[in-house]
Amino acid sequence: MCWSLKELIPPEPVQKQPVVAWGSAESGGKEGAKIPDLSSEGWSSSQKNPLDVYENLGTPQGLWTGGEMANPVPSACCMVLAAVVVVYAQRHSQPDSHTQFERVGADVTMKCGSMDWDAAVTWTVNGTDIDESHLNGSYLILKNVDLSQSGQYSCYEGSAWHLKYQTTLKVGTPPREPVLMCRSNNYPKGFYCSWHLPTPTYIPNTFNISVIHGTKEMVCEKDAVPKNRCHIRYLQLFSTVKYKVTLTVTNALGKNYTTVTFDEFAIVKPDPPESVVAKPVPNNPRRLEVSWQNPSSWPDPESFPLKFFLRYRPLILDQWQHVELSDGTSHTITDAYAGKEYIIQVAAKDNDIGTWSDWSVAVHATPWTEEPKHLTTEAQITETTSASTSSFMAPPTTKICDKGAVVGSGAVAVCWTAGLVVAAYSVLFI
Amino acid sequence: MLNVTGDLPGDSWGIFTFLCAALCNLPALPALNCSEELGAGQSIQQTYDLTRYLEHQLRTLAGTYLNYLGPPFNEPDFNPPRLARAERVPSATVDLDLWRGLTDNARLAANYRAYSRLLCYLRVLDGQVGTAELRHRLAHFCASLQGLVLSIGGVMSSLGYPLPAGPAGPPAGPPGAPPAPNDFLKKMDDFWLLKELQTWLWRSAKDFNRLKKKVPPAVVTLRLEARGF
Repeated sequence: MCWSLKELIPPEPVQKQPVVAWGSAESGGKEGAKIPDLSSEGWSSSQKNPLDVYENLGTPQGLWTGGEMANPVPSACCMVLAAVVVVYAQRHSQPDSHTQFERVGADVTMKCGSMDWDAAVTWTVNGTDIDESHLNGSYLILKNVDLSQSGQYSCYEGSAWHLKYQTTLKVGTPPREPVLMCRSNNYPKGFYCSWHLPTPTYIPNTFNISVIHGTKEMVCEKDAVPKNRCHIRYLQLFSTVKYKVTLTVTNALGKNYTTVTFDEFAIVKPDPPESVVAKPVPNNPRRLEVSWQNPSSWPDPESFPLKFFLRYRPLILDQWQHVELSDGTSHTITDAYAGKEYIIQVAAKDNDIGTWSDWSVAVHATPWTEEPKHLTTEAQITETTSASTSSFMAPPTTKICDKGAVVGSGAVAVCWTAGLVVAAYSVLFI
Repeated sequence: MLNVTGDLPGDSWGIFTFLCAALCNLPALPALNCSEELGAGQSIQQTYDLTRYLEHQLRTLAGTYLNYLGPPFNEPDFNPPRLARAERVPSATVDLDLWRGLTDNARLAANYRAYSRLLCYLRVLDGQVGTAELRHRLAHFCASLQGLVLSIGGVMSSLGYPLPAGPAGPPAGPPGAPPAPNDFLKKMDDFWLLKELQTWLWRSAKDFNRLKKKVPPAVVTLRLEARGF
C-alpha cells in the first residue's frame, strides 16, 4: 500500500512549498488527477490508481484525500513518511555521483552542482584541497588536463562543509584504429579473430565485431579467455567468397574501426608442432634423431595433412640448416658436427594452403660421442649415404677414414669396424 | 593379360569364356592386382601433383588475365557480390560434413564434372582474348587442364567407377549459357571463372589427399558388369 518513496521525492531544484496539500479541492479536480469520487466508488477505486492520486504533488491544487476514507490509517502513515523523507531531502540533499570523461589536453570546467557562480565553495581532489587560483568563482577550471589529474573531485559549501557536488574525472583519449588479426589454426573447423589497441585509452572501451560472408552475417562467439578474441565455425568449405571482418571500438570520447577481408585459404596457419624431442643415436657421432607431434589444435591431420620444416644449427654457429619434410613426424640429422650441442626447431604448414606456423619450442641435443680412449684426435667417419639435406654451409673438413690414413695403430681398426657398422645401418634403414 | 578374342556367341557363353580365361590366368592375378592397386595409387598421386602444378600455373595466368581485364578486377581487395548468372560455373563450395561423407566415386565424379565444364568455359575464353601472350598462356593451361581431366578419368577407371556422362570433349560452347549483355558483365563472368577454377584446384588437392589414404586394397577385378560381354 505504501508506494516507493522515489516517486514522492521531487526533482531538484528543491522548492520550498508544501508537497502534500491538504486544501479543499473540488471534487473532480484537475483532469487526469482522477480524484476518487469516494462517495460513490469507495476506496477500492483509489487503490487501483495510486500513482494518479499522487501525480500532482507539488502543485497548488493538491489532492483531496480527506473525507470518507475506507482505510485511512495506512495511507496516513505513508503520507507522513513521505513528508519526512522529502523534508530531509530538502535539508540534506545528497549529491548524485557523477563520472565525466575528458580528453587529454582539454580544458575542463566543473560547476559545483546547482550553486551560484558567486557562492563560496571549496574544491578538493581525492581529499586534498585545491588552491583557489584554480577557481573562477565557484567553478573549478582545469586547463590542459593530463592523466595524473584523474580522480574524485568534490565541492563543499562555505564554512559548513556541506558536500554539494561530487564527480569522478577520468582523463583519457578516444580510441585509435584497432589492430585486428584473423587466423585459422584448426582448419577446416573454423577461425578466430583477435584484436588490441595500439595505444591505451586509459578509459573503458567496448569492442564490437561483425563478420560478413557474402550476403550472410555470421556470429563470432567471444572467448572468455583470452578476452580480446572470438571464434567462428565454417559453415561451408572451399568458398570463393571472401570473409569481411569489422571491429569497432567505442569509448566515452569517440570510436574507431578497422576491417580485414580475406579468403578462407589465406588465413590458414597451424600452431607449431608439439613435443619436439631430439636424441643422439648410439654409436653414431654425427646423427641426431628428431621427432615431434602434430599440433593438438589441428583437428584432422588425415584429410588435411601437414608438412614440416626443420631447422638446426650448432650453438656456436649462427647459420641454420633447413630440411623440408612432406610427411612423417620424425627425421634423422646425419651431418651434425661431432660433440657439438645443437639447437633444433620445427614448423608446420598445411600441405597445400596457408602459411607456415611459428617455430616450435627449441630443443637441445648433442650427438653421441665415444668415451675418449686417447688424448689424440678422434677419428671421424664420413657418412657415405645422406638424406635430402640442403646445406648452406661448406661441408665440414673431416678426416676421411680409409686405408691410407695414418692416425694411429688403434684408430684404423676402429675406423674399419665403424665403417662396417655404418654400412649395415644404411642398408637396413635407408 | 586377360584376352577375350573374337565374337562372343551370347551372354552366358561370354561369361563362361571369360571365367575360363580368368581361371587360367589366376596365378598371374595377384601380380596383376598388385600392379593395378599400385597403378591406382600412383595415378592418384600423379593427379594430386597435377592439381598442384595447375594451381601454380593458374596464379601466373590469373595475374596476367586480370591485368588484361583492368581495374577493378586486378585489385587484390576486389570482392564483388556473386551475381545469379555466375551460378552456372560449377562451385567447389560444399558443406563440411557433406564433403567428408562423399564416397570415393562421388568425390572423383564431382572433380571430373567440374573440370570438364571449366575446361569448356576456358576454351571459349581462349577464342576471345586479345593479346597473343594471353592466348598462348591460356592454350597451355587448357592443355594441362585437359590432362587433369584425363588423369581423373584414368583414376576412376582403374578403381572401376564409370565416367560421368556429359561433355568430356570440347563442345561448341558452354552448355546453356546466355551471353553476357555487356562488356562489364562479361568481365565479371571471366573473373568468377578464374576464381572458381582456383578454388577447385585447392579443393582437389584436399580431395586427392583423402583418396590417397583410401585407395582400396587388392580387389580382384572380375567385374561382370554390362560391358558388352
